[in-house]
Amino acid sequence: MMQDLRVERKGRLLAVKDLPTLPTVLDEVSKLVQDPASSTEQIAKVISKDQVLSAKVLKMVNSPIYGFPRRISTIQHALVLLGFNVIKGLIISTSVFDIMAKNMIGLWEHSLGCALACSSIAKIAGLKDPEEYSVAGLLHDLGKVVATVQLPELKEEIDVLLKEKELTYIEAEVEVMGFGHDRVNAWLSDHWHLPLRLREALAWHHRPKSAQHYPDMAAVVHIGDFLTRAFEVGSGGDDHISYLKPEALEILNLKLTDLEKVLDDLGQEFVELSDFRPED
Amino acid sequence: MKHFFLVSSDAELFKLFKEICPQVQWSVFERGAGAIEYLFNDPPELLIVDNDLDDISGLELIRLFKSENVYRQVPVVLCLKKEALRQNLDFSMIEVDDFLVKPLDKELTAARLKLTLARAGRALDANPLTKLPGNTSIIHKIQELIVRKQEFALAYADLDHFKSFNDKYGFSRGDEVLMMTARVIVNTIRAFAGMDSFVGHIGGDDFVFIVPPDKVETVCKMIIQSFDSIVPNFYDQEDRTQGFIRSTDRQGKIQTFPIMALSIAVVFNLKGELSHYGQASQIAMNLKKLAKKNPKSCYVLDRRKSS
Repeated sequence: MMQDLRVERKGRLLAVKDLPTLPTVLDEVSKLVQDPASSTEQIAKVISKDQVLSAKVLKMVNSPIYGFPRRISTIQHALVLLGFNVIKGLIISTSVFDIMAKNMIGLWEHSLGCALACSSIAKIAGLKDPEEYSVAGLLHDLGKVVATVQLPELKEEIDVLLKEKELTYIEAEVEVMGFGHDRVNAWLSDHWHLPLRLREALAWHHRPKSAQHYPDMAAVVHIGDFLTRAFEVGSGGDDHISYLKPEALEILNLKLTDLEKVLDDLGQEFVELSDFRPED
Repeated sequence: MKHFFLVSSDAELFKLFKEICPQVQWSVFERGAGAIEYLFNDPPELLIVDNDLDDISGLELIRLFKSENVYRQVPVVLCLKKEALRQNLDFSMIEVDDFLVKPLDKELTAARLKLTLARAGRALDANPLTKLPGNTSIIHKIQELIVRKQEFALAYADLDHFKSFNDKYGFSRGDEVLMMTARVIVNTIRAFAGMDSFVGHIGGDDFVFIVPPDKVETVCKMIIQSFDSIVPNFYDQEDRTQGFIRSTDRQGKIQTFPIMALSIAVVFNLKGELSHYGQASQIAMNLKKLAKKNPKSCYVLDRRKSS
């Protein structure tokens, strides 16, 4: 019975067609693509602030139609390969959250904060291509967005449960849905042909040691998630500060004191992030 | 003059086609068997086959003809009675390009033939992998620009170390790189919206693009920058980190090969210096040897006459 339910829910999640996004970023990108003088760098920078647009772009560029599935993991590369026309089309066909927007803003801020943190952590850990880690951080909670859109009745149950019990969001998800957003992330990554590096980060950011191929990706996002919550940037859906697993630091060969430098960097970046919130 | 074949014993049918396309040379065959040798020796620009032949079935004739790859590009139109449609024709097995239902309507038939020919022209010369225009279109385009005495920069781009990549990772991953390269070139050029430009795929790892002379350096720089930053994604992690692959060379020896790079040779047609396509490609091939000396991505401009 539970197995059937799980399969049915997985099907509904993967059937997601229209992932709405927040009006602010969409407006900004729309203006840029209207202007022929805009550069791909400018557009990439704005799209990189939004997990839904970023996911759409990466899903498209990695689709088998283009002939190189699972290869592209940064927005800049995706834009070069997709071209202006396709981006325009994607923007036109993206709708905006209306009713849900208010309570989703927290998650958007948290994701953007995590993206900034991941890039900073990757740099300190001496990893190549910090941009990739930033994308992983941005998308790490995408499963929550998709679950909210596709299984709204369960989202309500999760919220009720969070009020009643002292649970983390992922624990509440598992209790209500039978799986957490980490599982949803793994399904989406495979369904959308996202690169394995991203898949590992999205699927294992709560348990970085379980990442078989790229534990460094998962570890960076794990720490990024922790720091963003510690700084109280946005909201991951509950009031907990997620537990920092020492294994994440071990994987990256970092000490707790190394994170101090990251914190210094982030202070400034998180201040800049505050203009993300449109109206308050 | 264009040459069309009609295989049909129906005199009315020929009368109609002749009326629709009077300026075409028509060869009419009453029997299917009689047409085969002519078809093979001197294929027409268009083949129309009546399904109701006395000796063999029209479908059989088409199958015979289209099973040879050299004839596959010839557009074939099948004429059949409406009843035949009820027999559940399997168009995945019969390589016809269009069909007409008897009795034929003159206006409809005329339009359908035009469409079939136009469609065949489009499909004929696209690279099957990237769908970019192929050799015939490339030569045609360049020749046209030369005749019009239009100024242009013609760039030949190809990949360094593509063969060793293919040898190590297999053809399908090589194809991925070609698809990526095509997208990078096309999108870079499109970013200069509105200008007269062209991108073609000669085949394998050889590409061609045409842009206005004053834009070509910027375009080359942008293409190289994008290509160099994206191509490492197509290597396995280990090779990507070490920055080279190990593969067997043409003599069977194990060698190391660097990450693929792009070499671009640019020929100019300023003040009508070029008189034919062969000249352009000759100059480009010489330039390419120069570009190939550099192991990294680079472009070389033909500076013979331009200042």
